Amino acid sequence: MATNTKSIGIANLPNQTHKIVSRKGTTFTVMVVGESGAGKTTYINTLLTTTIKSYRDHTKRRDALSRKTVSIDVIRAAFDENNFATQLNVVDTPGFGDYVNNRDAWQPLVDFIDGQHEMYLRQELQPHRDDILDGRVHACLYFISPSGQTLRPLDIETMQKLGSRVNLIPVIAKADTITPKDLAAFKRRIRDAINAHNIRIYAPPVESETEGDDVVTPDGRTVKGRQYLWGVSEVENEAHCDFKKLRNLLIRSHMLDLITTTEDVHYEAFRSEHVSTDGRVVGSVARKDAKFKEEEDALRRRFAEQVKAKEAMFRQWEQKLIGERDKLNKDLEHEHSYITALTQEIKQLEDKLNKK
Amino acid sequence: MSLPDFRQRRGGKKAFQFNMIVVGASGLGKSTFVNTLCGQQVIPRRAVDDPSQCAIEKTIAINPITVEIEEDGMKMQLTVVDTPGFGDNIDNSSNFAEILGYIERQYDDLLAEESKIKRNPKFNDNRIHVLLYFIQPTGHSLREIDIELMKRLSARVNIIPCVAKADSLTPKELADFKKRIMEDIRYYGIQVYDFPFDEEDEDEETVEENMELRSLLPFAVVGSDEEINVNGRLIRARQYPWGVVEVENLKHCDFARLRYVLLSSHLQDLKELTHDVLYEAYRSEKLSKLEGLAEKLAALHVQDGSY
Repeated sequence: MATNTKSIGIANLPNQTHKIVSRKGTTFTVMVVGESGAGKTTYINTLLTTTIKSYRDHTKRRDALSRKTVSIDVIRAAFDENNFATQLNVVDTPGFGDYVNNRDAWQPLVDFIDGQHEMYLRQELQPHRDDILDGRVHACLYFISPSGQTLRPLDIETMQKLGSRVNLIPVIAKADTITPKDLAAFKRRIRDAINAHNIRIYAPPVESETEGDDVVTPDGRTVKGRQYLWGVSEVENEAHCDFKKLRNLLIRSHMLDLITTTEDVHYEAFRSEHVSTDGRVVGSVARKDAKFKEEEDALRRRFAEQVKAKEAMFRQWEQKLIGERDKLNKDLEHEHSYITALTQEIKQLEDKLNKK
Repeated sequence: MSLPDFRQRRGGKKAFQFNMIVVGASGLGKSTFVNTLCGQQVIPRRAVDDPSQCAIEKTIAINPITVEIEEDGMKMQLTVVDTPGFGDNIDNSSNFAEILGYIERQYDDLLAEESKIKRNPKFNDNRIHVLLYFIQPTGHSLREIDIELMKRLSARVNIIPCVAKADSLTPKELADFKKRIMEDIRYYGIQVYDFPFDEEDEDEETVEENMELRSLLPFAVVGSDEEINVNGRLIRARQYPWGVVEVENLKHCDFARLRYVLLSSHLQDLKELTHDVLYEAYRSEKLSKLEGLAEKLAALHVQDGSY
């Protein structure tokens, strides 16, 4: 085999890919699961360095408590960093684990994830699929309460259900309430429990301490952290917590991997179970969640509108064509009568000639 | 009224007895708190469970432990009832009845004893004088399980709510949290032990003290099993990379105040309330229920004609 000593520019392919991808942009969906007060909102806001998720409105807390449901809230934001556009979706799950009886609290979560796969599947099977809305969940952060002991039955059951459907990343929230020695032991026990119950996770548990205002440390530096009477715990100090690690994991280094594993592994698994050999969707996910229904209705309406628009366009064309046809007919008639008149004239002239 | 006065009045032979129960979700530091309170390892460190067992839902355990401690130079017998497993399951609806059942059984024991013709002079009064409820430091407000527990038990026992692991909140977060909790407690009509005082009867000092304690509710609790060297002294504290939280430092948490309240200043008041109000209420309810039953039974007999 001859080796080519002159380069032909194939090595430029990654740059081309880069240009193509950065023009297209991407969608990234993250779900956060955990008891209220676990630090989810603060965490998301710290991660994205913006208040993308609003803090709890405490005046409404008693209504929420009486409803006793787990709801799904989707927050959407468009990010633009170095001309790379990302549609970022954060799926919140308020009510999870907050009640006395949390039986089947994981059901709405699982329904949502499966429902997004199904929604994508249905769009993918359409004849025209260049404008697909992709709401599939790329990563799920499960917030473990910092009890310092071990995982609870609700954690185990929920993580088992989630781990088989989505990239699951366990997070120990509010890690600044556990001393470093206890934290190491806690992490170990969690890992043991995860292994003992065969829970599928994307990455080993990461600890996080959250936000986030600018405070001044005793030695005069201004950092992002929490100010206690006995000191300042710094968010970005790796000796204080794993926050940086998780941000890097989630965004800097593994975002593409999270997206591709969702597409190649989880979506494919869903697809193979829900598409029959003749290309139709079977075993539709029972959609109990109102929010999902809302999305579905919105999608339906969008399609209906597009169809209506096309029909209106066709009708317009039709009118135009009819108009043109009539005009042409008229012209034709006009020409025809002219010909008839001329023919008559010719006949008259011929007669005159014949008489002579 | 302080401990020494009362002892003198009673003749001071029997060791002073105080019974408390601690309730709260796992991992909130209840055991550490109790050990810190007693100054010794009362509740042993929880054994590391087999990781494959943590998904199993268990019923809660009720474990009373008695220790002798010394407070203000006086010896006392303190019984602490631990309730491991509370709030750990997926469905915790049956937790409340278990704890209520335990408290009422102690009342039943005394009721039965009082009704005997020949009473046992060595009878052990195990009635619970105070319930310390540990609230998870979410920073938001009361959760459903907190409201339910306190509502259901407030008629039978003195409840003192506490913010567990208070060192996870900044001073402002803690203040806001305490405020919202008390708002919720008032909203849901939960009767907690709020250091009642009678402005007319008692001296100004006591009134002021009680008002101040009331404003501290719920008590911010921090406990530690370790002693750390701070400025040359060995004190109970928690060591973080960014600083040291001192358990007995009133600026760091309310632990010292709570201990004083439980074992000195308000011990007598808690016991009296338990006996004069809570036990009496239980007694009359139970007896009238029995009376009602007896009446119904009698009515049935008359109907039967078996009289």
